[in-house]
Amino acid sequence: MLIWVCALHCEAKPVIDFYRLKKSQDQHAFDIYRGDDMVCVVSGIGKIASAAACAWIAASYSGETSFAWINLGTAGGAEHEIGELLQLNQVVDADSGQCYYPAPVAVSPLAGSACLTLSRPSEDYRSDTLFDMEASGFMQSALRFSSAELVQGLKIVSDNRKQQTGKDRQRVSELIHRHIDSIHHQADALLQLDGELAALEPAADSWQQVLSLAHFSQTQKSRLRVLWRYLCNRDFSSDTLLRQLATQNSARAILDTLEQISFRDSEGL
Amino acid sequence: MASCVYVETAVRHHPRTLRLLERLHKLPLIEIDHYGEVFNPRSQNFRLQKKNPAVIIAHKNKGQVLAAPEGYGLGGDYNYYFSHMLNCIYDCRYCFLQGMYQSAHQVLFVNYEDFGDRIRQTAAGHAGKPVWFYSGYDCDSLANEPLTRFTDFFIPLIAGIDNAWMELRTKSTQVRAMLKMEPLARVVTAFSFSDAFSHGKLEHGVPTIAKRIEAMRRLIEAGWPVGLRFDPVVYHRDYQAAFVDLLDQLFTQIDGHKLHSVSLGSFRLTRDHFRRVSRLYPEEPLFAQSMHLNNGIISYPLDREREMIQFCEAQLMKHISEQSYQPCEWHG
Repeated sequence: MLIWVCALHCEAKPVIDFYRLKKSQDQHAFDIYRGDDMVCVVSGIGKIASAAACAWIAASYSGETSFAWINLGTAGGAEHEIGELLQLNQVVDADSGQCYYPAPVAVSPLAGSACLTLSRPSEDYRSDTLFDMEASGFMQSALRFSSAELVQGLKIVSDNRKQQTGKDRQRVSELIHRHIDSIHHQADALLQLDGELAALEPAADSWQQVLSLAHFSQTQKSRLRVLWRYLCNRDFSSDTLLRQLATQNSARAILDTLEQISFRDSEGL
Repeated sequence: MASCVYVETAVRHHPRTLRLLERLHKLPLIEIDHYGEVFNPRSQNFRLQKKNPAVIIAHKNKGQVLAAPEGYGLGGDYNYYFSHMLNCIYDCRYCFLQGMYQSAHQVLFVNYEDFGDRIRQTAAGHAGKPVWFYSGYDCDSLANEPLTRFTDFFIPLIAGIDNAWMELRTKSTQVRAMLKMEPLARVVTAFSFSDAFSHGKLEHGVPTIAKRIEAMRRLIEAGWPVGLRFDPVVYHRDYQAAFVDLLDQLFTQIDGHKLHSVSLGSFRLTRDHFRRVSRLYPEEPLFAQSMHLNNGIISYPLDREREMIQFCEAQLMKHISEQSYQPCEWHG
């Protein structure tokens, strides 16, 4: 599942339109827009708001096995052209000095940049980094739920030394919309990675079914999980396995049966 | 291809860094204060990173030379290891490096001179006695040779220390630089091999057995001492036939009696490493085999292990001299 975190509706709009996300009508702490395999949360401005939105959305989808994240928004850059799209490769919190490193798993087609997250707006630009107000809070929180390979920051330059467009909401949406194909490409790559990890976990319903066959101690449950994950990943049909196990009358017998199947299978490497 | 290059600001203009960056100039470059900022955080997924690990160019501040773990080595009294790199470009499913670090990025240390000083001091601490320095513990010694030029620095260094011996352990074929040097009796290049079936299933990105035998043969021909490492031997249904085939392939091209040393050990990992690696690769048959915990080490059940070692030893002894054989003793 992919989670988009945007500070403002105007930053989220191009994504909502492109993926035809639907606004959730329920009362929530944050506005969210849902699609099949993604959700977009509008956090409000600032690193604390961004961190809170990440934590809240992760808690709301706690049944998901894996999350990928994109913080999409605008940033200021001294020399960068207005409208330039950059992928963050280093995020520094200006207050604490804490650094975060998103970990790309392939050479990105996008130009990279460091980003300094400030608590207050500033036009005192530096040539070696972008300025924003959310990225460090986003990173700090998202990295609690996912590994760095699944956490990305994408920033579109809205302000530089010569020009400030960040307060013009329609313009911000236009600037982001221009890059929607590149943004989609990044999102697609992240979704694939996320899917790879999620596929390693057995389906929740089959896991619940096997658990219900007997009373397992915590230690037995851990062993069961290892065996079940292995066999499901080796393309054993969970239905066939469950039928086989239905005749076993104890947790120990179930584990013994699954171990014997695993041992036989693994001897072929 | 690596995903990007991180470089510590302190070594940004080090001559070795500049040479590395020349070769890696197409990759995005990110300056950092200390490699641990990128390498050590917990929120990293080794499996995902291994697809395209980044390169980290760094300075090793301390611990350049460390005492080798018990049981590691070739029977000498004084055994040390050093790591000019952390992590390996290959992806062998049985390797403990998969569970060793949070990150799959490759760290290249550029302050070889500090390593050299520590090696000299360590050897001087055991004056007159042979001291072994192992370079292939946290990495493959030669796999990154075109980037690191490791042998250009460390072989002359060892040559200049009378009681120093060095083992380079590798699965690579990168012997070109060594072939241009005068051979040195105190530098042993040890090639690791698994049978062809295990190689195909478990050694991702490793050069073919034939190419590695060819690299070995060229080194032997040039007068370098060479060793063989069958460690780990991995169990599978046809391991016996596959091991015999491997030995046939090796010893039709290499005279087993000319080898410096040969070692053999079955698959084993510490319990912590085993847990971490099997969580990373839940679908991997290697970790689903029947295993046994003994003194914190997970390995095959004793009877299976004994059978494997006895069989492989018996086959091996048909080709090598007994003096060169070093079983991997790890049961304590």
